[in-house]
Amino acid sequence: MSTQTTSVTGQKGFNKKKSKIAPVIIFIITAILALIFVYPIYFGIISAFKSNADILKAPLSFPTEIYTQNFKDLFAKTDFVTAIWHTLFLTVVSELFIVCIVPLAAYAIERHKSRMTKLVYLYFTAGMMIPFHLYMFPLFREMKIFRLYGTLAGPIICYIAGAVAFGTLLYTSFLKGVPIDIEEAAKIDGCTEFQAFWKVVFPLLGPCTASMVVLNGLSIWNDFLLPYLSLPSDQAKTITVEVYGFVGQYTARWDIVFAGTLISLVPALIIYVSLQKYFVKGIMSGAAKG
Amino acid sequence: MLQKKKKFDKTAFLFIAPAFVLFTMFIIVPTVSSFYYSLTSWDGINPNIKFIGLANYKEILTSARFGNALKNTALLTAVISVCENVLALGLALLVDNVCRAKNLFRAIFYLPVILSGIVSGFIWKIMYNYNFGPLNKIFDMLGLGALKQDWLGNADIAIWAVAVVMIWKGVGYYMIIYLAALQGVPQDVQEAATIDGASALQRFCSITLPLISGSFTICFTLSLINGLKVFDQIAAMTDGGPGFATETMVYLLYKSGFGEARQGYGTAVGVVLLAIILVLNSVQSTILRKREVQL
Repeated sequence: MSTQTTSVTGQKGFNKKKSKIAPVIIFIITAILALIFVYPIYFGIISAFKSNADILKAPLSFPTEIYTQNFKDLFAKTDFVTAIWHTLFLTVVSELFIVCIVPLAAYAIERHKSRMTKLVYLYFTAGMMIPFHLYMFPLFREMKIFRLYGTLAGPIICYIAGAVAFGTLLYTSFLKGVPIDIEEAAKIDGCTEFQAFWKVVFPLLGPCTASMVVLNGLSIWNDFLLPYLSLPSDQAKTITVEVYGFVGQYTARWDIVFAGTLISLVPALIIYVSLQKYFVKGIMSGAAKG
Repeated sequence: MLQKKKKFDKTAFLFIAPAFVLFTMFIIVPTVSSFYYSLTSWDGINPNIKFIGLANYKEILTSARFGNALKNTALLTAVISVCENVLALGLALLVDNVCRAKNLFRAIFYLPVILSGIVSGFIWKIMYNYNFGPLNKIFDMLGLGALKQDWLGNADIAIWAVAVVMIWKGVGYYMIIYLAALQGVPQDVQEAATIDGASALQRFCSITLPLISGSFTICFTLSLINGLKVFDQIAAMTDGGPGFATETMVYLLYKSGFGEARQGYGTAVGVVLLAIILVLNSVQSTILRKREVQL
């Protein structure tokens, strides 16, 4: 914090010597760029409260009255409730399993250093290179063999497997900064290592867990290809998949598509705004090692 | 202590086992078996898989469609990673130096990253619409009607229009990394250089840039890999069209597997993609890592 203050004052002192205009110019440029960046999202949100005619006639203007027929039609004409339920279920259940499995593995890798665990670390982190698209056809065949294809369990298992690489990276680098004495003390007090991990170490990993859950949870919430291809086709799949379907299906009713878009967007926005610092932390500790 | 050493492996084994089993079963096994499927004429449905040797790879080398997809992928990836890194560094510098609302600006530039590819693709599809898209409307309002374009419908422009969306959506992520690196540049070195009479540009080129070169390697690698893998926005905006103008390798892979029931061929395209990722990654990290400086 103190370095930041000095940096700001240092900068200000410097600019004052040259001119008073520089900070103003910087502010204006930044603000214009920010407006450009935020505009498409603003456009998506206001369009969700406009009738189709208004979207076509006056795309730029703010909605004159709040229009909600599109939301009513969305839920009446499509099985969007199922889509929301599926998305929520996939995200929450996958994250629960990920939080049970990944930190435990990372803990063993970091605290039980041996040649084997080093190899496991390399093996896991190499997984970040592999593009999903490469192995998706064989993966679906494997899912069919295990009777996971067409069930909600299928994507969940894939999400857990997919979280291992990044999660291991995040947790091992975070664990390096967690003092070992506390867990040693817990073990001397008679805890098994498994108990010591969950009761003593895991609570200390809170910020790291939060980072992993928000980054990972958002990518599951937004995921398209896996649920699109592997969930049963006789019912609604996930929010993202439904929105994709609407684009082709309701070419004359963009208001409905925008309603779906808003429902996909709002939870992500709320999570982001309220847990912003964990996004930043997660990206940074991922980048520090990646 | 000695006793612990005996237990040691068992605990580590049990702790790692669940992650190891799932990771191996659902990522490594399908990845390794994709090398086998890439040598077959598998259609995705028929359980009798026919081995056809290197025929798929031969087709990849000779087909014009693959050549086109490779060209599109190379173009998109190059444009995206260069623009994203330049823009991300620029934004990071602006956010680092802006006098107020630092956190707000950082949050805004990151915002597009949290949207799903499909949703952002759809929003931009409407933004780009010829008749009632905001982009053309704005050009009309500014009296620049001549600049109006059928952004996604014109085969010459579509790929650039797609690139803009990807840059918009991706740049915030790299900005966060650059911003953290900039804040790690020690202030005393900057001040010393200022006292020695170095101009802002000189300080940026000889102090800041070398010191953030580590982040540059990371961001460039990540943006290249993400550029190669991009799929959702193309699915929502152009479906690879018009014609094949925005069909990338990943999109070709997907279409040959699901639209055309040629999963063996699609998998072979994936193997080529993986090879490209591995080669690019090792080449650029050796080149860029050498230039990294630490204080």
